Amino acid sequence: MENFILDLLRASGADGWTVSDEVRRGWEFYFIRHALDQNRVRDVEHITLTVYKKFCEGDAEFLGSASARIAPTASREEAERLISRLLSEAVLIRNPLYTLHEPRGEAVPVGETPDLRAISGDFLRAMRSVEESAEADVNSYEIFADCVTRRFISSTGVDVTDVYPVSMAEVVVNARREGHEIELYRMYRSGSCDAAALKANVEETLRFGRDKLRAEKTPALGRCDVVLSTGDARQIYDYFIDRMAAGMVYQHISDCEIGKRVCEDAGGDPLTVRAKRRLENSSKNGAYDDEGAPVRDMTIIENSVAKRFFGSRMFSQYLGLQDSFMPGNIAVDGGSASAAELRTGRFLEVVEFSDFQVDSSCGDIAGEIRLGYLHDGDAVTVVEGGSVSGTMRELAGAMRFSKERKQYDNYLIPAVTRLGGMSITGAE
Amino acid sequence: MKAAFSSYLDGIAPGLKKLVELLGEDFDYVSVLSTDSVGFSVAISQRAKSVNHSTMMTERGSVLRVRRGGLYSEYAFDRFDPARPEKTAEEARRALNEQFALLEETASAVYETAVLPDEPCELRAEMETAQLPEDCDLGALVDSFSDMSARGVKLGEHAIDCHVRGQSTHVCKLFLTVNRDMRQSYVYSEGMCAVIAMKDGAVKFGYESVSGREGPEIFEKLGEKVEKVVGIAEELLTAERMEPGEYEVIVSPEVSGLIAHEAFGHGVEMDMFVKNRALGAQYIGKRVGSDLVTMHEGAKPEIQVASYAFDDEGTLAHDTVEIRNGILKTGVCDALSALRLGVEPTGNGKRENFEHKAYTRMTNTVFESGESTLEEMIAAVPYGFLLAGMQSGMEDPKHWGIQCIIDRGYEIRDGKLTGKVVSPIVMTGYVPELLGSISMLSRDHELFGSGGCGKGHKEWVKVSDGGPYMKAKARLG
Repeated sequence: MENFILDLLRASGADGWTVSDEVRRGWEFYFIRHALDQNRVRDVEHITLTVYKKFCEGDAEFLGSASARIAPTASREEAERLISRLLSEAVLIRNPLYTLHEPRGEAVPVGETPDLRAISGDFLRAMRSVEESAEADVNSYEIFADCVTRRFISSTGVDVTDVYPVSMAEVVVNARREGHEIELYRMYRSGSCDAAALKANVEETLRFGRDKLRAEKTPALGRCDVVLSTGDARQIYDYFIDRMAAGMVYQHISDCEIGKRVCEDAGGDPLTVRAKRRLENSSKNGAYDDEGAPVRDMTIIENSVAKRFFGSRMFSQYLGLQDSFMPGNIAVDGGSASAAELRTGRFLEVVEFSDFQVDSSCGDIAGEIRLGYLHDGDAVTVVEGGSVSGTMRELAGAMRFSKERKQYDNYLIPAVTRLGGMSITGAE
Repeated sequence: MKAAFSSYLDGIAPGLKKLVELLGEDFDYVSVLSTDSVGFSVAISQRAKSVNHSTMMTERGSVLRVRRGGLYSEYAFDRFDPARPEKTAEEARRALNEQFALLEETASAVYETAVLPDEPCELRAEMETAQLPEDCDLGALVDSFSDMSARGVKLGEHAIDCHVRGQSTHVCKLFLTVNRDMRQSYVYSEGMCAVIAMKDGAVKFGYESVSGREGPEIFEKLGEKVEKVVGIAEELLTAERMEPGEYEVIVSPEVSGLIAHEAFGHGVEMDMFVKNRALGAQYIGKRVGSDLVTMHEGAKPEIQVASYAFDDEGTLAHDTVEIRNGILKTGVCDALSALRLGVEPTGNGKRENFEHKAYTRMTNTVFESGESTLEEMIAAVPYGFLLAGMQSGMEDPKHWGIQCIIDRGYEIRDGKLTGKVVSPIVMTGYVPELLGSISMLSRDHELFGSGGCGKGHKEWVKVSDGGPYMKAKARLG
C-alpha cells in the first residue's frame, strides 16, 4: 500500500479512519479424477478505507461512516477524490455515537510466512494417498492454499499485522454398482493441510458413498430423534452463537439476555460455548479481528446461561461492552454422555444433507436427506430422500451432545449431537 | 444514456495487448480479462445504517489465461503498470513456473485440452441506462430508504424493524487475445425490503426484492413493496407448520425460478458433463417434463442482472433453449468444457471476479409462459397450496433431487384460497417427476435477480431466474 493513502487520511479532516490492507497470494489446483484440469496463481492486494464523521442533530450525537475498496494502483489524485467522497457520504449515516478501538496490550508477534509450495504439495500427496476402489473413487477435487498478510491501521493508533495460511479443499466422490452411480460432496477448510485428517475424511465419505448405493427411501417417520455427526452440526451451534452476537441483540432479532438461559430447561445437556484465540490448524487463527481488536479466549455461554455478548465495535458499544471483538474460533464443551450412549434406541443419523439450514432468527431447521442411517435397536437401515424439519425454539432445551469432540476448521464441537422429536418427511 | 466504458481500462489496454504479445512467446494461447467495476451499497434500518462502495461485482484487476503442453494455467493480479508489461509477464512466468516445478515433483498428470479458437472479434458494447451509480444522489437515496423503513415499522402491528437495502454496479470488462478486443459496459441494480416482526418471542421476516439491468432509479419500485412486505411478515407470525405429504401446488414466478435454477439449471451446466457429474448428459433428446415445459437460459433472451454482451472468456451472449415441449435439447457450456465435449460454447463462462476460475454458470434461466390465468389455476386445485417466496435451494445434478426451501404456502380447498398460511416449506422430489407433473402455466412471467448463485458452496455470481405461475404436484414437508 502506498504511504500517501495514510497521509491523505490523516489530513482529510475525518474524525476517524481505518485501513485494512490484505495481501493475498494463492495457489490453486483443479483436478478431474487425478488429472490436472488447471493451475492458478493469485497475487492480489485488497485495501479498504473507512472514514468516520461526528455530527449532532439537536441533542443527538452521531458517528457516520462510509467505506470503499481502493485499487493498489490508484494514484494520489484518485485516493484524494475517493476520501473526499467518503467524507461527504459519512454524514448521511446517522448511527448513534460510538468510538473506534484503541490499541490494547502488547502487539502479537507476526507469524512465519506460510510455504505455499509445501502446503500445496501436502494436499496433492494427501489426495493421491486416498484408498479408492472400483466401487468408490474420487471424481474431482480443487485445492486452494493462500498466504494472507493483513495489516490494520486506524486513526486511534492501532497498527497491527498478521500473517497466516488459509486453505480449502473441495472434494467430490462417486460410488457405483450395477450401472447406478451416486456422488457426495465435501468442502474442507483449514489453516494449512492436515493430510491425515483429509485422507481419513475423504475415505469416510467414500464409505458413505458405498452405503448410499444400498439406501432405501426414507419412510415417513413422523416424529423421530435425529443424530448429527458431521460438519452439518455446526449449524445447530451457530443458532446459539449467532443469537449472542451484539448486532442480533441490539436489533432485537435475538432475545438473549446476560444471566438468563439461552433455551428452556427440558432435560438436555448444559451448553457451554467459548471463543478461542487459537485452535490447531484453524483458518481463523488471526490475532486480531476485522476491526483491529485483539482476539482472546472468552466464555460466551456457560451451562446454557448467556455470559457475554460479542461483536463489532459499534453494536458492542451500543450494548455497553468496551473490550469486545469478533471471535474467529469457537469451542463447545462436551456433554454428559458418550457418543455410543447417544446412539441408542430409535433414531435417524443423517450424515449427508443437500443443504442443512438452521435459521438463527426464528430457529427453523430444514434439510433434504441425501444419506441417513435409521437405527431401531440393533437394526440399521440405510436411507435417502425426504427431509427433516423442526424448530430450535422447541428442540434446544432437550438437546443432548457427546463428551467426545471433533474439529471442523474453526469449530470444535461435540462429535455427536442428538435432537429429539424432529419431523421427518419420507421419500416413499 | 449509454453506460460509458471505463477510461482506466481504455488506458491500460495497450499495455495489456503488449503483455499478451510477450507471453505469446512462451505459450500457445494467451488471453487477458480485465475489469473495472464500481458501485455502491446503501442499507438502512431503524437501528443501523451503512453506505459503502462494495457490491458482488465491484472489482478492479486482471487475469491471464495461458496454455502450454495441453494445460491451461491462470495468473490473477491487480498491480499492473501499463508502462511495464514485461514486469508482469516476468512475474506471471515465475509464479507459474514455481507451480509447474511442484507438479513435476509430484508427477501430476495433465487433463489435456486443445487450443481455444481465436476468431477475430472487435466489440465495444455500452448498454443503455437511465442513471449511473457514480452519479446517484446517495443523500436522497438514504432519505428515501429511511422513509420506507419508518413506514414499514409503522404499518406492521408486530414489526420491530424494516431493513431496506439497495446496490447498484457499473460493470466494465475488457477481453483481449491476439485477435480479439472486446469491451462492454452495463449497469445493474438490486434492492430489497425486509420487515422483521415479532410475536410471543417468535421472529419472522417478510421479504420482497427488485432487480434489473437498470440504474439506481429502480429503487423507486421498492417503495411500492413496503405494504406487501409488512403483510407477509404478519402472515408468517400466524403460519402453521406444513403437514408432510404430496400435494397439488401452484408455484409463484419466484418459486418457478427457483425450480428452473436449482432443480434443473445446475444439472445442465456442461462442465459437470466433463466430470460425469450430471444426469442431464444422459437425457439429451429425452423427455424431462410435460409438453408445456419450455425453458431458456442465456444472457441474451431477457434483460436482467445477468444480461451481458460477452462472458468472461470472450464468448458472445446466447439464447439457449434447454428444454422444448418437455424434451431436453442441450445444456450450457463454457469455452474449455466445450472444447473437451466437442460442442460450441454458449456464452456461460463466468467468474466470481477476476481472482476466480471460470466455470460454466447460469445467467438468466426462465420457463416460458402458458395460456392460463392464475384464477383458473387456483380453481383447478381441489386441495393444495399456492407456494410463494423463496428462502433457498440446493442443486443435485447427479441425481436430479430437489431441495427448495419456500417461504410460505397458502392453502387452496375446492378451488379457493382459504386464508390458511403454512411456513416454512421444504419441497423435495425428483426433477423429471416434478416437471412432468406441470399441467398449467400462467400467461405472464417474471424474473428475479437479487442475491447470488454458488457452485457447490462457493463461486458466487449474479444470475436471474423466473417463469410463470406453474401448477404441478410436489412433495412438501
